[in-house]
Amino acid sequence: MDDRSQRILEILSSSFWPLLKAGIEFTVPLAILSFVLGLAVALLTALARLSGNRVLSGIARFYVWIIRGTPLLVQLFIIFYGLPSFGVTLAAFPSAVIGFTLSVGAYGSEIIRASIQSVPRGQWEAAYSIGMTYRQALRRIVIPQATRVAVPPLANSFISLVKDTSLAAAITMTEMFRVAQQITATTYEPLVLYSEAAVIYLVFSTVLSWLQGWLEVRFSRHVAK
Amino acid sequence: MIQIRNLHKSFDQLEILKGIDLDVQSGETVVIIGPSGSGKTTFLRCLNLLETPTSGALTLADRHLQFTPGRPVAKNEMLALRRETGMVFQNYNLFPHKTALENLMEGQITVLGRSKSEAREKALRLLDKVGLADRADMYPHQLSGGQQQRVGIARAMAMDPKVLLFDEPTSALDPELVGEVLKVMKELAQEGMTMVIVTHEMKFAQDVADRVVFIDGGVIVEQGPPAEIFGAAKHERTRQFLNKLSL
Repeated sequence: MDDRSQRILEILSSSFWPLLKAGIEFTVPLAILSFVLGLAVALLTALARLSGNRVLSGIARFYVWIIRGTPLLVQLFIIFYGLPSFGVTLAAFPSAVIGFTLSVGAYGSEIIRASIQSVPRGQWEAAYSIGMTYRQALRRIVIPQATRVAVPPLANSFISLVKDTSLAAAITMTEMFRVAQQITATTYEPLVLYSEAAVIYLVFSTVLSWLQGWLEVRFSRHVAK
Repeated sequence: MIQIRNLHKSFDQLEILKGIDLDVQSGETVVIIGPSGSGKTTFLRCLNLLETPTSGALTLADRHLQFTPGRPVAKNEMLALRRETGMVFQNYNLFPHKTALENLMEGQITVLGRSKSEAREKALRLLDKVGLADRADMYPHQLSGGQQQRVGIARAMAMDPKVLLFDEPTSALDPELVGEVLKVMKELAQEGMTMVIVTHEMKFAQDVADRVVFIDGGVIVEQGPPAEIFGAAKHERTRQFLNKLSL
């Protein structure tokens, strides 16, 4: 084996654990936390849109319009570098969580709204006819059916989010991509390090795709094709 | 059991119900017939407030509601009224993510606060009554249309309603499955259930109804015992409608 290959192998093996560690310590928790919070925001936003209340639905529309119409990276910069001018100084991790939560909330709200609307009107009527309130009908009858529709696109969002967390590197968060940058700075092997990071992202995404497949089967068990 | 006075319903500018008065006695089976677009389904849906009447008054099982244009019905009054009624839909509207048994248990637990075991016992008894005890653990898509509709009837019964409303319960069924549903409805009528039924099954109306109501153009054109309506209708419009059906 020549010196070049030897060196690449050494860099790969010495950087693998720091990268994976950053992935498991920051990338994964950031993605999971933002996604869970984002789903809650998305559900509330979707319900506001569907409420028929003009003020609520107006606020929801405005929020989705702003978030979808501006780049995520710019939003992260505003939260992390911009808000201190207002006296709001947040560390990198909470800044990133807020940025990604808002993003998931906006895109996710459209998925949830569409999936709730995909449940036939008759299901609401049946729920009402046995005396259920709006809340009971939503929770017991409509959401369980909407979930089946929402799982594939929401899983898509989650996979996108896992990759988008690399943007947090730009606001100084030492997640996986930032660690790759740091190691590159001392080894001068960008191709090796960034490819290695790409492979780890790919592994994360692949595991999530399997999970999506499993969820889809689980939620469509009782529904005729 | 039910008193309806001068009930009106408009959708935007279009007036569907133009002042309906009707009384239904306890234990009575009233069949509503009429051409499509006559307002008979809208009328039925007004009885459990799936549609809110524009104006008029409705008394059902001692609950009195007055409707005024532009003033929505209070939520608790709406819920209270719905708990006195059960509805059977044309397309069954069973909950597809729940088994037949769970369909019957859901409202008992969520709405009436019954215990699981109590709800299950009642659900099994009702499934047995509609001849589906052996289908309790099946999901709606595993059942035939006739079976689904019988589950639909049992689901409505599980809430112990004072009145059962049927919205064209056999219209979506293959002809050979209609009989099993009508048989269950006939049994309920004979047991003294108060029922209001919108249907095109004239034979069933003749056999089971205590009274037949003919609605056309948003008003009750005439009503009476089935023998009178089917044998000697007073109004030209009723005769025309019945003649078209027998073609």
